[in-house]
Amino acid sequence: MDLLEYQAKQLFSQTGIPVLPSQCIDHPKDLKDLKIPYPVVLKSQVLTGGRGKAGGIKFVENTIDAVAAAQTIFHLPIMGKYPEVLLAEAKYDAEQEFYLAVALDRSARCPVLLGSQRGGIEIESNLKHLHQVAVDQEFSLFYARRLALKMGLKGMLIQTVSSMIEKMYRLFIQKDLDLVEINPLAVSFSGELMALDGKVTANDDALGRHADLADLVTKIPTHSPDSETQPSFPGMELVELDGTIAILGNGAGLTMTTIDLVKAAGGKPGLFLNVCGENRHDCPPTLMQERIEYGLDRVSQSRDVKVVLVNLWCNVIACDEVATTIASYFERRSQHNSLPRYVIRLLGRELESAREILTAVEIFVTDDLDTAIDQAVSTASSKR
Amino acid sequence: MNFTSDSKILVQGIVEPLGALFAPLMQSYGTQVVAGVSPGHGGQKHQGIAVFDMVEQALSKTGTVDATVIFVDPYEVLDAALEAIAAGIRHIVIITAGVPPMDMVHLVRKAEATETLLVGPNSPGIIVPGQILLGIHPAEFYTPGSIGLISRSGTLTYEIARELTRAGFGQSIGVGIGGDRIVGSSFQQWLQILDEDEPTEAIVLVGEIGGDSEEVAAHYIAEAIDKPVVAYIAGRTAPKGQIMGHAGAIIASQIAGLGADIGTAESKMAAFKQAKIPVAKRPSDIPDLIKKALQPSKRKSQSGSRASKEKE
Repeated sequence: MDLLEYQAKQLFSQTGIPVLPSQCIDHPKDLKDLKIPYPVVLKSQVLTGGRGKAGGIKFVENTIDAVAAAQTIFHLPIMGKYPEVLLAEAKYDAEQEFYLAVALDRSARCPVLLGSQRGGIEIESNLKHLHQVAVDQEFSLFYARRLALKMGLKGMLIQTVSSMIEKMYRLFIQKDLDLVEINPLAVSFSGELMALDGKVTANDDALGRHADLADLVTKIPTHSPDSETQPSFPGMELVELDGTIAILGNGAGLTMTTIDLVKAAGGKPGLFLNVCGENRHDCPPTLMQERIEYGLDRVSQSRDVKVVLVNLWCNVIACDEVATTIASYFERRSQHNSLPRYVIRLLGRELESAREILTAVEIFVTDDLDTAIDQAVSTASSKR
Repeated sequence: MNFTSDSKILVQGIVEPLGALFAPLMQSYGTQVVAGVSPGHGGQKHQGIAVFDMVEQALSKTGTVDATVIFVDPYEVLDAALEAIAAGIRHIVIITAGVPPMDMVHLVRKAEATETLLVGPNSPGIIVPGQILLGIHPAEFYTPGSIGLISRSGTLTYEIARELTRAGFGQSIGVGIGGDRIVGSSFQQWLQILDEDEPTEAIVLVGEIGGDSEEVAAHYIAEAIDKPVVAYIAGRTAPKGQIMGHAGAIIASQIAGLGADIGTAESKMAAFKQAKIPVAKRPSDIPDLIKKALQPSKRKSQSGSRASKEKE
């Protein structure tokens, strides 16, 4: 989960990484009580890049201009998202702008330090100037110095930049992060360092043991307004595509395969939802039926969905229990709503009685994956 | 590594929901679960299995074990695995999903230093059909045979095992190396194990989008593996930047601006193509590709081309 810039900077500040004086603005009128002297920078707090180009960052010299600029930014969507907060920050004159980051290298299975003397928005076009150092054993400051030297730094900057990297690394480890990035890291004429912008990505799996981060995450506006009213099943995230066949699977690989097969057969996958495999502590297999019912409800509600394709491997619970869940959902909801068509593929114990239960309510059921795909695609393309 | 029905197995987290559920299933497949560990529950019995507070206590009663299977809460996995290593256990299977990556970084270093084979986390474990189940594979879809199956998935692995079984290809072993971003053992480690494993005649490698482990594996197969390999990749049509249910299955760069498409299916399929490894379009195509790969003439020409490649 990405944090907002002001949240990242709170963490930087706690860690001793220098940031400019700043203030969060919830409403344009808050600018009348601004404690930072002008000129200031107003920055839209949204989770997407390219804020500057989109007009989400404005320099202002006085309160009147600031209020007007704030009103504009609050009403400016960036990649479809509106900010709930602006960050007002002092202006800073940088002599140079560096890029620094700590991330996880999944292949090397260790953290990696990244740095470049060409930071700022130039970083994308200057990938060949981005240097890396893998932290393959216990961290010590020399790893940071190694990066500083690779970046081509000399003299005092070797020490000051290394010490900055060390602080970033400590933050990365202490908070179980996926990414700590400072871009740009401003270097002043006198060699002073300042984190002008930053990005912190929290690890979703580790949020449970970092209450402070979990608290920050709750303050980030989500793009799905109904998410708070839905029962929460960890790990079950609805992904929305624009097709007509909704897919419900258990396990990531199987769900992805189902999508691939639907596409290969000429169908258009719509929503899809992975109701999870059987090895999650936060949703044990004993809750499978509840998860399936919740999943059915989520994918059945979209108007664009013509067919719901359910592909489930029933290991712990028996197929007939799953079939009962599906059939009773169908019977309950079909009295009041027009539902999409269902194509069910089940495997596991008690398949025959599952077949009887679903056939009795006229739902198509099979144990063969290719048959289920063909059925779903042909049903979706037929006239209703 | 040679797991048989005689191997002695420990289960850590045996009274926790997943362990309590799956340990009896392992036992009913014939796996010798000699003891369980769950701190605070020492002295109890679970389905006839003696429960201990610590691994070392369990081992003092049972003698050495061949492997431990870990079902504890994700935040307790690191501790449980370190405890097992400290007690001298050198084969560890982690079923639990959602272990924080830095815990795995720590554990992987410890495992490398002690030459411990680590499988998982977020894994269905290991099955040697007809012999032993170290994890949660649905055993009824597997049958003894000569195909080694290595995968990053759970349910998709079962799907492919079932296709193989239906086509008359039994399996020498089925291993899920895990769907989390950092996993204990790589495809290469298992390719090497299966290359040396006598019953295994051909290998099915099941990958998915995200990371570069399939690319690395493809390169390794071309260099070092003599047995025929058939691959499958899940997520060819997955939308970018979206976590697909496995923390590891995401097409994206973690780092802002480094917009290269790391982990795409295209990149993986190109790597397999370059290594002359056939890639199945769908799970039901895998048995045919295996059949072709096992044809004697084909094998000869493959090893011939490899020999000529080495000369270059």
